[in-house]
Amino acid sequence: MTTATLQTSAARSGEGARALLVAAFLGLGLVFVAGFAPASVLHNAAHDFRHAQNFPCH
Amino acid sequence: MIVRLLSAALVAGFLASVVATGLQLALTSPLILQAETFEGGHSHAHAPVSLTPASLIVKAHAHSHGEAGSEAEKSDEWQPAEGFQRMAFTGLATLIGGVGYALLLAAVMLALRREPTPRSGLTVGVASFLAVALAPAIGLPPELPGMGAAPLVLRQTWWVMTVAATGIGLYLIAVRRVPITILGGLVLIVAPHLAGAPQSIDTVSSQVPPAVAAQFVARSLAIGFVFWALIGLAYGWAWGLFGREAGSRTHA
Repeated sequence: MTTATLQTSAARSGEGARALLVAAFLGLGLVFVAGFAPASVLHNAAHDFRHAQNFPCH
Repeated sequence: MIVRLLSAALVAGFLASVVATGLQLALTSPLILQAETFEGGHSHAHAPVSLTPASLIVKAHAHSHGEAGSEAEKSDEWQPAEGFQRMAFTGLATLIGGVGYALLLAAVMLALRREPTPRSGLTVGVASFLAVALAPAIGLPPELPGMGAAPLVLRQTWWVMTVAATGIGLYLIAVRRVPITILGGLVLIVAPHLAGAPQSIDTVSSQVPPAVAAQFVARSLAIGFVFWALIGLAYGWAWGLFGREAGSRTHA
């Protein structure tokens, strides 16, 4: 029983670490695209959002 | 767990960005359009201006912060058409940013081992507002187009460092909560401002009326607060929602 509990919690923390990495990576990627990406097409598309959310812009 | 986290973050980002888009279109976009009329012919996402040599010269002067050449070339690049298309892209960018913020909030809550509820989500959301919106705004106030500023890379670097330092500082103060970490947290929060932000606003040649700029700063921060608070609340709510569904599926 103890072993089973340990295994479950180990599996859970492994899954948690994976979820953490996925969320952080995707989140940073999306925020980069919306707020920082230098490509001028992206800049122009997101222009008003960047200004309104106080991302440094042009 | 990954599916539950991603679903909840998508829902939270969507709900918050719908509200934030409405607020931006109602409160900040009109001020941006107004400011662009002072931008000395530099066109960003507005109606095409005729490219006379004179307007190019004005443009180069309006952007005398090292990017004049690239800015002048950019006028040929795609930009959303005035009106509905521009509003739609503002909404899309808000959605992408909102989902991104929600994912980062989810990652932070997971790292802190906080069970997401509307209440705990709101707490992390408000803390995120302090770190991501308020702290950088002290050194780099939200800017309207045409206000001129230090080179972009410098400002972006200061912005990212301030957000990170404030975030870690808040963690040391609010989560660790012992004298030494509280002291360290305070130092981290204050340090970027002592180091000083890159000179942000060109007070000499900017043509944007100060009253409009002041109104923009207040509205921008207010929208940022609503955005983050809603992301946190909605993430906590959606986490519970998807948890119940998953639970009822496994029990069925």
